[in-house]
Amino acid sequence: MYVGFSVWKGRDPFAARDLHEIPLFTCNFLDMSLRMARRPKSSLDTLVAPVAPLLKQAAGLAVVGNLLWIAQGYVIARTIAGLLDAELAGIAPLTAAILFAVLGLIRAGLSYVGEGRAFEAADRLTRNLRTKLVTREAQAITLDYGAAGSIAALSGEKLDILQPYLTRFFPARARTMVVPIVILAIAFYYSWVVGLIFLITGPLIPVFMALVGKAAQSASEKQLDEVASMNDLLYDRLNALLDMRLLNAGERMQADFATRADSLRTRTMAVLRIAFLSSTLLELFSAIGIATIAVFLGFSLLGEISFGATGDPVTPFEVIFLLLLAPEFYQPLRDMSAAWHDRASAAALAKDFAKWDAAEVQPILGQGSTPLAGAMSLALSNVTINRGETRISYPDFGLTAGQSVALVGPSGVGKSTLLAAVAGLLEPSDGRITVHGLRLGDDTAKAWRERLGWMPQRPHFLGETLRRNVAFSDDDITEALRTAGVLEVVAALPEGDATVLGETGGGLSGGEARRITLARAIHARPALLLADEPTADLDAETAKIVTDGLLALQSRGTALLIATHDETLAARMDRVIRLEAA
Amino acid sequence: MTALLRIFALMMKRQRRSMIVGAVLALAVLLAGIGLLSLSGWFITAAAAAGMAGIGIAFNVFGPSAGVRILALGRTAARYGERLASHDATLRVIATLRVELLGRLILAPFREQQKLRGAQALNQLTSDVEALDGIPLRLVLPVGAGTLALLVAFFALWGLVNFTVALIVAGGLLVGAAVISAIALRVAAAHSAREEEQAQAIRSGIVDMIRARIDLVVYGQMKAQTEALSGLIRDRHATRRKLDRIERRTGFALAALSALVTAGAIWAGATFAAGEMSTATAALGIFAALALFETVAPLRRTVAELGRMRLAARRIDARLQTPEPEAKPLPAQSAPSVETPLFSAKPGLMTAVIGPSGAGKSTLLQQIAGLLPSDDIMVNGAPVASYSEHDLREIVTFVPQRTALIDGTLRDNLLLAAPDASDADLTAVLEAMDLASVTADRGGLDMKTGIGGEALSGGQMRRVALARALLRHPQVLLLDEPTEGLDTPTALKVLSNIRAILPKAVIITASHRKVETDFADCIISLR
Repeated sequence: MYVGFSVWKGRDPFAARDLHEIPLFTCNFLDMSLRMARRPKSSLDTLVAPVAPLLKQAAGLAVVGNLLWIAQGYVIARTIAGLLDAELAGIAPLTAAILFAVLGLIRAGLSYVGEGRAFEAADRLTRNLRTKLVTREAQAITLDYGAAGSIAALSGEKLDILQPYLTRFFPARARTMVVPIVILAIAFYYSWVVGLIFLITGPLIPVFMALVGKAAQSASEKQLDEVASMNDLLYDRLNALLDMRLLNAGERMQADFATRADSLRTRTMAVLRIAFLSSTLLELFSAIGIATIAVFLGFSLLGEISFGATGDPVTPFEVIFLLLLAPEFYQPLRDMSAAWHDRASAAALAKDFAKWDAAEVQPILGQGSTPLAGAMSLALSNVTINRGETRISYPDFGLTAGQSVALVGPSGVGKSTLLAAVAGLLEPSDGRITVHGLRLGDDTAKAWRERLGWMPQRPHFLGETLRRNVAFSDDDITEALRTAGVLEVVAALPEGDATVLGETGGGLSGGEARRITLARAIHARPALLLADEPTADLDAETAKIVTDGLLALQSRGTALLIATHDETLAARMDRVIRLEAA
Repeated sequence: MTALLRIFALMMKRQRRSMIVGAVLALAVLLAGIGLLSLSGWFITAAAAAGMAGIGIAFNVFGPSAGVRILALGRTAARYGERLASHDATLRVIATLRVELLGRLILAPFREQQKLRGAQALNQLTSDVEALDGIPLRLVLPVGAGTLALLVAFFALWGLVNFTVALIVAGGLLVGAAVISAIALRVAAAHSAREEEQAQAIRSGIVDMIRARIDLVVYGQMKAQTEALSGLIRDRHATRRKLDRIERRTGFALAALSALVTAGAIWAGATFAAGEMSTATAALGIFAALALFETVAPLRRTVAELGRMRLAARRIDARLQTPEPEAKPLPAQSAPSVETPLFSAKPGLMTAVIGPSGAGKSTLLQQIAGLLPSDDIMVNGAPVASYSEHDLREIVTFVPQRTALIDGTLRDNLLLAAPDASDADLTAVLEAMDLASVTADRGGLDMKTGIGGEALSGGQMRRVALARALLRHPQVLLLDEPTEGLDTPTALKVLSNIRAILPKAVIITASHRKVETDFADCIISLR
């Protein structure tokens, strides 16, 4: 049965995907190892592969440190035995103390260095994964993973789950492969009975561990899902906080959330319960093992048992030494099983990360770098865009520098969609958009957008100062604010243009927030400004200021493409294109 | 530190029994562990001495071996119980704290609410709250139980071995661990708090990046934003590395302390045993020294996490310190009406408040809605301030300029306003707001609204917000620029249907559009 250990050295049963396979492996390891050789790499193994060398070093240092304990135990045993029996060559008190202390310091030093290696591995890996996540999210829209809250959770607390696994699992596994075998050999050297007891009780631990591993991973997966969906739900509701309050739905929202918070607690507790129960049972196994050994050795010492020693009858030194080593025989196995739970959580995380990695993405056009030359020109021909189930067809039109076009039409007819397409954010399903004489696509979109300004219908302000939201730098924005008719409003804010606004512009009225986005467009001095309902939320007087601001921009050579309901604004554009509902 | 203690006091108050059970068991685990190793060491050495003296048969093996068994099983059981009790209690308190914090956010002062950033609030409800679990689990319980166990061990060793061994072993560990933690904490606390702040900044940054993705891309700022975020990630990891070094150094110092203390016990024991002390007693001291490492080992985590816990406790404590809204009896009321120093609004009439931007139109509506304080505004004959939040919301429904939809179906959004409404009711208001044709081929009430209502246009979102308000059947309906983003025919249809559905309500709008002012019964001009 114990053959398991020697085989572990060569193979890695813990990398097995299906943990039910491990008990099988103890009875038929040959068949098992063949199957494992063909087993596809799990997502966790793939994730961890880049830092494997560091983890090996950490594991090696942990093994050496652990073996030093055997020497420390030897010092204690020799010292006490020497005191019991003057004929035995003991160790002088001071020598013993110094030896023990020096060994202890070396051990502490080894674990300092070894833990450092493991941390370095964890740190490097999580940092790279976080950077990867941010980089991709910047270039593409992830469709079927979750919303901003989920992705923030994945990059934050979820990836942190890798740390305990990386820092604990590999050292524990290496110790499990070496330390129990060394102690087993020492036990057999002195007393075959003690060796036999180790041999019988030891393998119970990994077998048991394998049984709980599967349950632990599935509990962890459920918990992670709960974390993600709670984050999304919370972020969503927190953005609608005032609405909830005004609809008197606050208490219901709280009650709803209480259910979610409680479900997260239950899921977390389920993970912990498995971990606590298994570690308790393992502690029990090891306690039984140690107690059996202690009773046997105790009676041997008292002369009531006279069998079991490998050579001569056991001496007090051997008894004390073996008893000091007994807990260390079980400890790596117990640590291993604790780390096994870390592994289960990490495997759940790896699965989650792989889900994000494999999620369908809608790439934002514009990774290429074809430069655009000459004056601004835009032309649409036969453009059709699929939006969900609906197909929207647009009339052909063109636009050159300094011209202005108003897109008008009933709500929902597809005005905003067209602006997104012209911005190169989505590709038409049919027809073509030509910019500067070239087809707008992945290779041209980036250069094209460098010439664009953008006024969204629903702005999202970054968690930075108003000035940085307008200029994306610390440049002076006074002129842009004045042209947008919002200079006084900003001056009246408690911290002026250093104020941090709420996500949708909280702190300003809707119209004021809109004018901030106009100021941003003015500051950028674009060749073409795309504006989505720039005068919505504005009274007639302010709408006129905004319209004047837009026309001032046009007189400086900026072309305007404006989606609007505002007939007054539309009338001031060079051309009006009416979109009709299909 | 006071915030941290206050949060712990709160946890104690809510889960007193489990916390006490956890604390008692935590102490029991340590004491049993120390007792187990000391007793085993003494027992085996004493047995060896008796065996060599040839009096093995007379040696009482049953007492000590029964003690070993009880301690071993007791420790295992106590550890299981302690973990279960303390984690369960902590997670329970944390779940209730989350809900309570959300409650505070819902009723936070309006001005603060307006400026509240979702990502920042999310941080508070997740990261900050989660950091609090360390207070009982990694600070109070281990440090408290460890200190007590060391004190008990000190007196036990003094009684069983002698004062010198007690002083070296228990005294050495107690003083040494205190000095090590104090030094480590001084360097670690700032890093630990900074790491948490950096982690939260990254979270907010990612949420920002995803929500403002289009703006950032069009303005060519995505590269800069990504670089800034990557920089933050690098910084956070640099802080982590520093923190980890401190943690490992603490671990090294504690392990070294334990090695030195045990060496001291070996030296003292061996020296005394050469004299009048029995070898078994000397062994007891050595084994106790080995076992006592368990009392100080958890300190390294405590040191690494304390800064983070303190930061989180301070923020959450501040939020919890805001007074809870007081319960008020429903004041005596007259028929539906709104009175302000400028005008009185009567049921069945629509009053439009007009004036240039900044004249205070929105502020007036916010005051009537009780979001901002006022002294001279009456709703149904009673001052606004005399209503409880709940009662006022049952009478007054306010649709502000900026409204938000939740991610879900249209039905989910409408049911927020009226959880008991039937599908027929919901369809009726959609019809009235001219939305039925929009939603008909997109699943009707089951149409997904998307994150932040992204599946709807601005004008459609506006009408869903109005539909929600109608479902509340308010006596007083306040509308801040209700038809913004709607074309004139739709605006007219929406306005007349609002009046048709709420014929007896007091309706006040803040308006600038001609279509709204034309529709109103009276116009109040603010200058």
